[in-house]
Order: sequence, then C-alpha cells, then structure tokens
Amino acid sequence: MSKAFSRFDLYLFGAAMLLALFGVLGVYSASLHSPVSSAFSRQLVWTAMGLVICFVVLSIDYHYLTDHAFTLYAVSIAVLIGILLVGKEINGSKSWLSIGGFGFQPSELVKVVVILTITRYLADLNENYLRSQHFIRLAGIVMVPVLLVIMQGDLGTALMYFPILAGMMLVAGLKPRFIVGVLVLVVLVAPIGWFSLKGYQKQRIMVTFNPELDPKGIGYQTRQSQIAIGSGGLFGTGIGNGLQSQLGFVPEVHTDFIFSLLAEETGLVGAFIVLMLYLFVLLRLLVIAEKARDRAGILIMTGIASLMFFHVAVNVGMTLGMVPAIGIPLPLLSYGGSSAVSTYVALGLALNVHFRRFVY
Amino acid sequence: MPIFQDNRQLLSRLKVIKALFVVAFLVLFVKVWYLSVLKADYYRELANQNHVRVVPLVAPRGLILDAQGRVLVDNIQSSNLILFLDKTEHLQATFEFLKGLNLTAEELEARLLTARNYSKFQSLVIKENLSIEEVSYILSHQAEHPELTIIEEPRRLYRYGALAAHAIGYVGEISDRQLKQSEFVGHKPGDIVGKYGVERTYNPILTGIDGQQRHLVNSVGKVIQELSSIEPKAGNPLTTTIDLDLQQVAETELGDRPGAVVAFDPNDGRILVMASRPAFDPNTFARRISRQEWGNLVENPDNPLQNRTIQSQFSPGSTFKVVMALAGLERGVIDETTSVHCTGGVTLYGHYFHCHKVGGHGTVTLSDAIRQSCNVYFFLLGQKLGINEIETFSKLVGLGQLSGIDLSGEALGLVPSEEWKRRMTGEKWYAGETISVAIGQGPMNVTPVQLARAIGIIATGRVPTLHLSAVDKEPALHQPQVAAPTFKVENLRAVRQGMWRVVNEWGTGRAAQVHGFEVCGKTGTAQTIGSATRSKLSKDQAAKFAPNAWFVGFAPRDNPEIVIAVIVQGGESGGGVVAAPIAGKVFQTYFAKTHKVPPQQNIQLASNFPRIIKPNGQGAALSQ
Repeated sequence: MSKAFSRFDLYLFGAAMLLALFGVLGVYSASLHSPVSSAFSRQLVWTAMGLVICFVVLSIDYHYLTDHAFTLYAVSIAVLIGILLVGKEINGSKSWLSIGGFGFQPSELVKVVVILTITRYLADLNENYLRSQHFIRLAGIVMVPVLLVIMQGDLGTALMYFPILAGMMLVAGLKPRFIVGVLVLVVLVAPIGWFSLKGYQKQRIMVTFNPELDPKGIGYQTRQSQIAIGSGGLFGTGIGNGLQSQLGFVPEVHTDFIFSLLAEETGLVGAFIVLMLYLFVLLRLLVIAEKARDRAGILIMTGIASLMFFHVAVNVGMTLGMVPAIGIPLPLLSYGGSSAVSTYVALGLALNVHFRRFVY
Repeated sequence: MPIFQDNRQLLSRLKVIKALFVVAFLVLFVKVWYLSVLKADYYRELANQNHVRVVPLVAPRGLILDAQGRVLVDNIQSSNLILFLDKTEHLQATFEFLKGLNLTAEELEARLLTARNYSKFQSLVIKENLSIEEVSYILSHQAEHPELTIIEEPRRLYRYGALAAHAIGYVGEISDRQLKQSEFVGHKPGDIVGKYGVERTYNPILTGIDGQQRHLVNSVGKVIQELSSIEPKAGNPLTTTIDLDLQQVAETELGDRPGAVVAFDPNDGRILVMASRPAFDPNTFARRISRQEWGNLVENPDNPLQNRTIQSQFSPGSTFKVVMALAGLERGVIDETTSVHCTGGVTLYGHYFHCHKVGGHGTVTLSDAIRQSCNVYFFLLGQKLGINEIETFSKLVGLGQLSGIDLSGEALGLVPSEEWKRRMTGEKWYAGETISVAIGQGPMNVTPVQLARAIGIIATGRVPTLHLSAVDKEPALHQPQVAAPTFKVENLRAVRQGMWRVVNEWGTGRAAQVHGFEVCGKTGTAQTIGSATRSKLSKDQAAKFAPNAWFVGFAPRDNPEIVIAVIVQGGESGGGVVAAPIAGKVFQTYFAKTHKVPPQQNIQLASNFPRIIKPNGQGAALSQ
C-alpha cells in the first residue's frame, strides 16, 4: 500500500484538487443570487463523480487503453454520428445526450479518445520525424470527429482537437520545411474558413480585436468581464460581493466566465493563485511525460497538457478580452458535467502514466 | 509495440512546450495585473456606472401668486421617459423599441444631440407627459431596456393660460448660451429655467434644488437596494403685484384687438395690470421638447411673443400734450391763464398745421386745450419751447428712457432732438418738425410703460419704481433711470385739472368716467404713417396703418392710487371711443374693489392730512 502511495503523484493531484476547490467556491458564489441555485450542489456531485472516474481510469493500465485505442475511436465516431441523429439540442448545438437528468456532451470525452488514438499511431510508428504520409493519416484521425462535432454546431469544442494534434506532432517531430508548409496551408485555408463562419461568429472575432467595432453590443460580455476583473483590484470584493458577477452583468459566471467572478471577488491575488496552480499542473504533466516509461506515455501526457493548456488559455484569454468569445469551459473550475468527466478522465490518465512509470 | 525506443529527441522537444506554457501564462497574468491594478480605478468607475443608477428628483418651481395671494402659476406632475446617458451601448435597440411610442430615430438623434453638454451620469428626458398606456408599455419592457425609466417630474401649469402671459413669462430647457451666463449660474444642462417675464427675472427665487435617488440595480435595471436619497427642495413662491381681477377686466375689454394695457400704483410702483395682445399660452412652452407651436409663435407676423407694454414703441399722439403742458408751465413759457384762439389751424414756418376740429375750438385756456385736445394751442407752445426744451423735459419724465421695470427686453423709445437728427441723418433740424413733435407725432416713440410712468409722475410728482414683484433680487433693475425731478405743485395741479376735465367735463375721454371716482386722463389718436403717405395707399393697405388709439390717466385726482395707459392698435375711431372705455372698466373695477368707504369723504380726509408715505414708496418728494 505504501508503495502504491509513493507511486501516486500527490503534486498533480493536490494542485488539481485545489483548483477544484476554487471551482466549488466560484460556483457557490455564482449560485448565491442566480436562478441556477442548484448549480452548487450539482457541482459537488460532479466533482465526486469525477474523482470516482479518475480512480477508475487510474486503475486500468494505460497500455491496455492504447492497445484498444482504435476500437475506442470507432465506438466514439459511432456515438457522434448517433447523436447527430437522436441528440438533444441545447444552446443551439445538437451535441447533448441526456443521462438521468444530467446533460452530457460525448464530444468532450472523444477528445481523450483522440489523444489515445494518436498516441497509438505515433508510438507504433517509432520514428523521430514525421513524414507527409503520417501527417495525412493524423489529419484523418482528427478531422473525422472534428467534422462531426462541427455538424453538431459546437465549433468551440471542435477547435480543441487541433491543439491536441499540434502539440503531439510537435513532440513527435516536425521537419522545419513541414512547419513552413503547414503555415502556408493555414494562410491559404484561413480565408475559406472565414467565409464558412456564421455571421455572429465572424463578429465575435472582429469585436475581440476591435472592441469599438460594436454594432450590436456583442463586445458587451467581454467588456463586462473586463470591468469585473478590473474592479476587483488587488484583493477583490470578497466572495459573494462582486456586483458585476452577482447582479448579472457578467454572463455565465458559473460556467464560461467563472474566472471573471473569481478575479472580481478574490482580486489579483486570487487570480494569480489560480493561474499559478494551472501553470503548476501543466508543467507537472510535462514532468510526468519526461519520467514516462515509454513513448506512449510521453505522447499521452503531451496530448493532455496541450488540451488543458488550450482550454485554460482560451477561456482566461476570453475573459480578459484577448481571445474571441468562444464558449469553452475552464477545466476543473467551470460548472458542467461533460467537461468535468473528460477533465477527470484526463487527470486519471496522467496519474496512470505516473503510476506506471517504472518497468517491473 | 516496438521493443527499443530512443525517446531523447522527443523529450528535448517537451522543453519547447514548457517554455510556451510559461510565456503564455506570463501574458495572461500581465493582462490581469493591467486590468486590476493599473486600470483598477477606471474599471471601478465603470462598474459603478453599471450598478448605480441616479434618478433625478426634479424640484418643483415656486408658485407665482397675484397681489392677493391667488395662484397664477402652479405645477402638475408629468410622467416623463428618461434615458440614462451612461447606458447607451445599445442605442439602435432603444430606438427600435421607442418606435412603439411613435418616436422616430431622427427625433431621438436630434434629442440626443441636445444632450451633448450633459455629464454622462445624467439622464435625458426623451418624452414627456406619457399616457398610462405609454407608461405601462415602458414598464413591461423594463427588463430588456434598463437604459430607460419613467420619472414623475413637476411641469409648469399656467392656470389662466394666456392671461398676463407677457408679465408672467414662460419656462424652457436651459440653452447652451444661458448656461454660460452668470444669471443662470448653478444650473446644469437639461434644467428648466425661466426664459421670459418674471419667470426669468426671478428665476433664482423660483428655482428649487433638485434631489436625487441612488439605486443599486442589476443588469436588467431592477432596483435591488436604495443607496441614498436626497429630497428635492421646492423653489420659493413669488408674489407678484398683478391684480388678477383688474388683469382679467383689462384683457376681456381689450379682447382680440392688438394693443396693450398697463396699470400701476403710483405710490409704490406696483404693476397692477400688464396685458398685451395678441398673446400666447405659456403652457405651450412648459414642455422641454420643442414643438411645432413654438415655431408657429415665433414666425407669426403678429408677433404674439412681444410684450407690447415694454417692447413696442408707438407715437404718443395727443397724450403727449399733458407732458407739453407741464413743460410749458415749468419753463415759464405759459401759465394757467395763457389762452390761444383756435380757428382750426395755424400757419407756421410757411406750412399750415391743422387742428382736428374743423372750424376751430375758439379761444382756449390751457385746461380747455387739454380737455378738447386742441392742436393749435400745443403747436404754438411747441414753437415757444423749441425742440431742445421738449427733449430735455420729456426725458425728465422718463420718455425715451428705460423705465427700469423688472423685465428684460425693454425698448428705449425715442425723443428726437437737433443733435439726434444730425447724428442719424446728418441734416439740421427744421423748426417745422418741432410742431409735429409738440402733438406727439413725428419721430417720437414711447412704450406704454414709459408713458404710464410719465403720467404717474404728473399724478404724484414723484418717480415710481415700477416692478412686478417686491422681491429685491437685482437692485439695479429697480433703480430709477432718470434723476428725480421737482415740479411746482401748482403746475402739476393745473395739468391734472385739464386731465380731470377730459374725463368729467364733456372732454374727449368721458368714456373713462366712473361715478364717485375722480378719474383724470388724456386721449390720443396717433398716426402710424404720415398723411401724405396714407393718401397713396389703397383702402386695405391704409387699414393696416390705421392710427393707434390711446388713453392715459389716473384716479383719483388727489392722492392717486392707480395710473393706466391703454393702447389699441389700429383703433381708428380714436382714443376716446376705443381706448378710454377699457380704462374706464379697469378704474371701475378698482374702485368697486378698494373703496368701501364713500369716496368723497375719503378724498377729503386725504387732502386735509399730510400723506403718509408708505414704507416701500420710493418716489422723490414733491417740492412745496
């Protein structure tokens, strides 16, 4: 038992739990004067469930998961297609399954499956640089779920697949000319992507870079979030006292804008602690990658770190008005089941890789 | 799975990702620091703007009362729609919503433009006097439009409409120009201020102190908590000198004819009646938002906004003869017994000047000449006095001088002189011109108030300080504009005797007679154009320039209490027929109202005992 305990990464787990505590605190504050007063108790349920899932994932050797990655991938694609046919539409995106009264977005979990799938493919490859035929296969692995998720209408989640791919490819080895080639491709494809965006999506992007350009008040959310964070000052207004968050000026304070609430009510000090905890978690994930027993472990950790980093950077960047308002949650903090489940699965995987870093 | 793996290259690449993470978090942290430390004050202010809504509590203006304390001007509550100027992020949506109140985007844009000098924490009234339906329309959509709300604001109510409108004046939203004037110091943009009449003169007294309520509101404008409240303080009431009964009689008698009536107490200068026709309803201006009616009034060729008692200048006509009479006596050119033989005209300087009576008045003394308004007598008097003496003396009784009444925009009038003509035309004065001036024609112009004031000086020998309110707000306004003249008692008495006969001895002004009340007066029928010009006009055009009918007078003869000047423009049939009856009705009303004791006895008492000068009587003492 003590041996098992020493193999368990307390640093990662401890930091994650502190962040979860901030999340519980934030959701509690958000539910004080809000119509979603049940959010606090539900958040506790989600966190408890997440921990259970986390330890279930920890208990299964990750090699078993990578061995069956292609199967998991096939099942995931089938589920995504199934949802397109029978899914429930919430907030304009048909990506939800209803399980016992709790809404659940399978696309969140599919991201972890994609990490495992890419890991399996690259680990089998066992090369130090990728060639173009590898890239095409990798793109295929990612694009199938991305297109399905876009078809569900959830652009934010779809975007999250790309940093996974980018981070894992970077570690798997990209030749400089290949990087240049990708950049050229992005420049060529970007205009096409721009024109395929919906009107409101385009405006969100425009407004982020030019808040003055605000014809229909789309910059309102971002501006209110900035006011919340700015008016919090050094030490904040105290939990439950942030008027921006409590009086409904900042939208979605229990989910996407929970960072604004925490910054308003706990100030720069609170925001600093949260950001430092995230940075600690991310660097710790990479430390686990360095200690990993094999290539598969390295790649899994890279994928998880990339995914988590992108979530945090885009979400916090959005509340600060640096990134267009994309509706993605802040891992471990935001209220919401699907995000919690996928985050705790990822956490379980990371602990898993650390747990099995030595060959016995 | 391959047996052998060399992962060193992969591990070295992880360092790139680590560095990327550190840099990204540094950027995020710096941005949080920038917002919450560097710009904290700025965002706190914005947050306050969000949460704190300041609702103005507009103070009601003071009531305006007549001399007996009857309310002339009052306030009523009006439901007004206001826009919070710090919550205008979604103006297009606001405009769209307000189409439901029949407000167009253009109207709103124009209205917003008037708010460019407002502080951003102010609110702007965008529609007034909302109906119950309109109020519920706004309230039922309050959640979607927290930038709008409804407040109850007092609005001016002029109880008698156009009655005494020119004296009372009107209010309006303060203009950019007024904001810069010292008169309106302490006012903020959007305030309702007096624009005209006593509303303007006594604006500082009538203006209250606005209060405000500060509310904590949520993002949909719902009030969560009241933070603080400052109650408004109503403006002080203003008692005017206007006598509602006399004013009503004067206006009724004047009817729709263009003209003016002014009456005052010569002992203390209290204006009892100030009527001007055509008039306007000041309730039209009680609203902030400029309306069609305003344009109509301003563009009306009859100029209803002009206060004809102080702003219009007329030839005094024959009423000027009483001033001439006093001048002749005072300068020793004539005495009471000086008589003239009138044959219906006289040739002076090679020109034949007509008397109005064909065949002449025969031999007339001074008092006959006044009673019958004999031109010839005054032609000869004018010739003896000369234009310079006429000018000097006219100015002594306040003609061609500001009366100093407590209203703005008073006209100066004009008394011609040799020097004046030289300055204006560069030509010398012809002696023949003096003859016209002697009967109040020619280039001479006076305002009804000036003329009434001159009559008051003749009636009492003292210079009255004309005013509509005794509140001494601006002493400068009350200062007499002329040095206090001293006239011989017997000279004044001689002129008054002539004026008494005008009314009471089959003179021209007998229509002003009141049984039991010794009215003295003088009529006038003043030409508005020369007779040579008149003969060239068609009948219709001539009617436009019909002579003005005057009556000036006072009562009772001894120790007078009321002085009046009446002018009816285009009152062709003459002062005696058109103007004197109006004065008569005012005198009659005054007499019925104030003289409960038999008048004869009263007058006896008054003449046997030294007059007690009222404390606020500021007239100069008569030299005995």
